Amino acid sequence: MSIALSAATEARWQKILDAYPEGRKRSAVIPMLIFAQDETGIITRELMEEIARRAEVDYLQVEEVVGFYSMLRKQPLGKYHVQVCTNISCMLAGGMELWHHACESLHLKNKQTSADGLISIEEVECMGACSWAPAVEVNYDFHHHVTPERFDEIILELKGKG
Amino acid sequence: MATTTAPPTVINAKLNGQDIQTKPGTLLINLTKELGIEVPAFCYYEGFSLQAACRMCLVQVNSSPKLLPGCTTIVTEGMVIETESPLVVEARKSMLEFLLTNHPLDCPVCDKGGECELQDMVFKYGAGESRFVDIKHHEPERPFSPVVYYDPARCILCYRCVRVCDEGYGVNALGVVNRGVLSEIAPNRGDQLNCDECGACIDICPVGALTSNTYRYKTRPWEMKHVGTTCAHCSNGCKTTLGVRNDEIMRANNRDSSGLNEEFLCIKGRFGFDFNHHPDRLQSPMLRIDGDLQPVSWSKALAAVAAKFNEVKAAGGKFGIVASNRTSNEENYYLQKFARTGLGTNNIDHARTGDVVTLVDALSGKQGKLATMADLYQTKAALVIGSDLAQQHPLLAYELRRNWRHHQARIYAMTPGPVREDKYAAATARVAFGEEIAALEGWREQLAKEPELLILFGDSIKGASLRQLVDFGESLGIPVKYVALVDYANSRGAIDMGLVPELHPGFVPSGQPGLTLPEMLDDSQLDVLWVVGANPLANRSQANPKAFVVVQDLFLTATAARADVVFPAASAYEKKGTVTNVTGEVQRLTAAVKTMGTKTDLEIFGLLGKEMGLELGIWSPDAVFNEIRQNVRGYNVTMPILATGGAAPTTPVNGKVNVETRSDLVHSAGDTLFTSGSMTKYSQVLNTVAERPGQLYKPV
Amino acid sequence: MANLTEILSAAKAITKGMGITFGEMLQPALTEAYPDGPPQFQERYRGAHVLKRDENGLEKCVACFLCAAACPSDCIYIEAAENTDQLRISGGERYAQVYNIDYNRCIFCGYCVEACPTDAITHGHDFEIASYDTSTLIYRKEKMLEAPQAGKASLAYDSQASNGTSGH
Repeated sequence: MSIALSAATEARWQKILDAYPEGRKRSAVIPMLIFAQDETGIITRELMEEIARRAEVDYLQVEEVVGFYSMLRKQPLGKYHVQVCTNISCMLAGGMELWHHACESLHLKNKQTSADGLISIEEVECMGACSWAPAVEVNYDFHHHVTPERFDEIILELKGKG
Repeated sequence: MATTTAPPTVINAKLNGQDIQTKPGTLLINLTKELGIEVPAFCYYEGFSLQAACRMCLVQVNSSPKLLPGCTTIVTEGMVIETESPLVVEARKSMLEFLLTNHPLDCPVCDKGGECELQDMVFKYGAGESRFVDIKHHEPERPFSPVVYYDPARCILCYRCVRVCDEGYGVNALGVVNRGVLSEIAPNRGDQLNCDECGACIDICPVGALTSNTYRYKTRPWEMKHVGTTCAHCSNGCKTTLGVRNDEIMRANNRDSSGLNEEFLCIKGRFGFDFNHHPDRLQSPMLRIDGDLQPVSWSKALAAVAAKFNEVKAAGGKFGIVASNRTSNEENYYLQKFARTGLGTNNIDHARTGDVVTLVDALSGKQGKLATMADLYQTKAALVIGSDLAQQHPLLAYELRRNWRHHQARIYAMTPGPVREDKYAAATARVAFGEEIAALEGWREQLAKEPELLILFGDSIKGASLRQLVDFGESLGIPVKYVALVDYANSRGAIDMGLVPELHPGFVPSGQPGLTLPEMLDDSQLDVLWVVGANPLANRSQANPKAFVVVQDLFLTATAARADVVFPAASAYEKKGTVTNVTGEVQRLTAAVKTMGTKTDLEIFGLLGKEMGLELGIWSPDAVFNEIRQNVRGYNVTMPILATGGAAPTTPVNGKVNVETRSDLVHSAGDTLFTSGSMTKYSQVLNTVAERPGQLYKPV
Repeated sequence: MANLTEILSAAKAITKGMGITFGEMLQPALTEAYPDGPPQFQERYRGAHVLKRDENGLEKCVACFLCAAACPSDCIYIEAAENTDQLRISGGERYAQVYNIDYNRCIFCGYCVEACPTDAITHGHDFEIASYDTSTLIYRKEKMLEAPQAGKASLAYDSQASNGTSGH
């Protein structure tokens, strides 16, 4: 078993592992999964096995965690993962219309990825950006007060960046 | 605080309008159970961690505006509890409706139908109709292993299987993946299990989500006769309840958890009964005619053996009798009586698997030194020497683990390789066989600080080293109890019943020691070799190839293949009698089925004795057990315990045994969870699971 | 007078009685000519059992044993088996490999029909099951099973029939 992760991710792993005392390394499972996912974009069986080994838990326990949290993904998503909030504040401010616009303009459904692998969309619950609703998050970047027009601009920018 | 008030010793509360009193710290659900008031629950299972997953046990409590789960609520002073209020009744109804939203309601084809807790609950508390009209989420049924099937649609996610596997057995092979309506139980090796294959998850499942492949679609629970008996495999003596239909064992479990093993069974106890119906079972006596073993009638075979025995006896010839580790106490007693009074020989022995004799001798004059199964669960500290309990004595491992879980018992493990106890033991050491006594000195200080100690030791501790171990234990200055680990269902009973040349039943010296097992096989003057339920010629030959060999066995073993006469014997599941387990508790065998053409070993002895014209007494199991109770010291056990299927502890002699037995002959076969001596190859299940001998087995 | 009154009343009674007799003579006969003619049944008559097939020609019985459990005279014997992709006998997951009814004991109470969750077992109208040999009164599934409907996919049942040999 070998998984190749960048030195930076390795360092982040080591830091979080060191943060927990002996016998409590299991607490590092979720951060380790997120750090690895940030780099690889997908959580593979090999990755879960490696994390289980390092965090001193059974493989099945890592699998349970990955299965539970929707932000941990076993299926690959686009390079830019566009998340549209349709929770109550965003919905009242036009989030639902925005979501439908996103689906139609990109010809994608929930959790689908564009053919070039660049963009994927997801309908998500509250991101804590209610004061600037409707909100859209692209990977870790927030976009506030997004209108359908603004949404198209964001997508164009992303496509431009490639 | 300046003043401290003593914690209350009694809690006053009100339950359904009645004033009640209980101990502090009582769970609400246990309180209602004590008072005979039913609070339904799926996920609550006594002895395992609390889950509060199923929400069936919601009750109304005055201190909370919302309903509280009875399984995690502790009764407090002044609590007013309602378990039958309209709100609670409505909540139960709604919970069941919710649990059934994705349930396929396929009770007619479900193996659990008829003994399903969900079925019972819906019948008693449920609503007649569901308001859900949406299409049910369905995932197909799939096998987790050759013995365990999982049907996600029926699962109610109570986590019982997850907890019994993790907490009970320490295997942790099951988990819950995904979330919400998509949640399901997942095995640890992708889509397959890599575990003990014990099937505890099947038994504990309140619904038909986890089912047994061996029992799959065979019959329905009410069609079977349920016969409680003792497992025929290892020495732990678990009670197993056989489901019998048409003279065939359909399944084994412990549906009422009434034995000393409670909810525990391993793969052998739960699935390993299939040897009983193996097509190779012998069903007719066989006599060697013109060099070939040919089926003959019982009378002919008995006459041939009786004639030969009388001839050899009259000529003053040499008999060698090899007894079994699996036959009942009654059969063992009758056989040694046959040998000693009928044939006038002390040449009787069996494959010794644990040095009980030296232990009893070394402990002479001391009271209460032999541990019972209950002691394993109660002791404050235990020391395991030279045995992988989880593999060789799974019930003992389970009890120690349970003790650690419930009472924080401190476990010490001194074994040659990694064992399951390592994970939670107070101390572990890797010590090669034979070096344990020296290594123990390193733990002396630590062990002496324990309030009490229970020492379990394998076959590496015998003779002199066993005496050293007892010296060590007695020098600790704390109460110490001992368990000499033995291999098979009645290995302990074989020693107690005097199936060794040195001893009569009850550890009474025989005076004139006869030949031991290897001596018999090495004796070129041996005239008759009589083998009962053993396979001494599996890997060797006998010095006198002309000796007349009589074998009583279930199968044509290597020894039986060389015999002159073979009698087809009944298995432990086909006879009445008693067996003694590793901790010296006598339990009952109940005849569940019958295989055509076989006779119990006891009946064979009786008929043979009669044919020879011997006066050995009647050969009914009850009569022989009465004789045992009168003649074998320590076996005067309480009959009601036995009669009700319980385990009656024996109290062996307490005095010097006054004879040195051949401790060097003590040798354990080292069976694992997936082997059972010569019976291994006749159990299909043991040979089909992925973990079968020589194959993958990960959990330590 | 008294005599005349009696005579008249007797004549009236005879006329009334014979009126019914002659009137009925003109009605169609209800008497059945069995065994010379075929007997007639009410639809709900409980005769020998018939095991039904579903619209695909598969057996409806899933071997749930509920009929056997409901049977007060314990005359139903079942052995279940699992359907496979190669051999599909019933619509459910399992089917009855052996399904015997012992007509020595059956009391035609219809509880089995009531109990059946899949409407697989029904009462037919066959009642001529008397026999000089009681051993022939144990009916096997093959004897009770409804014939596959014409035009429906029927399964080669004969290959399976040889399995159903074990008796009660």
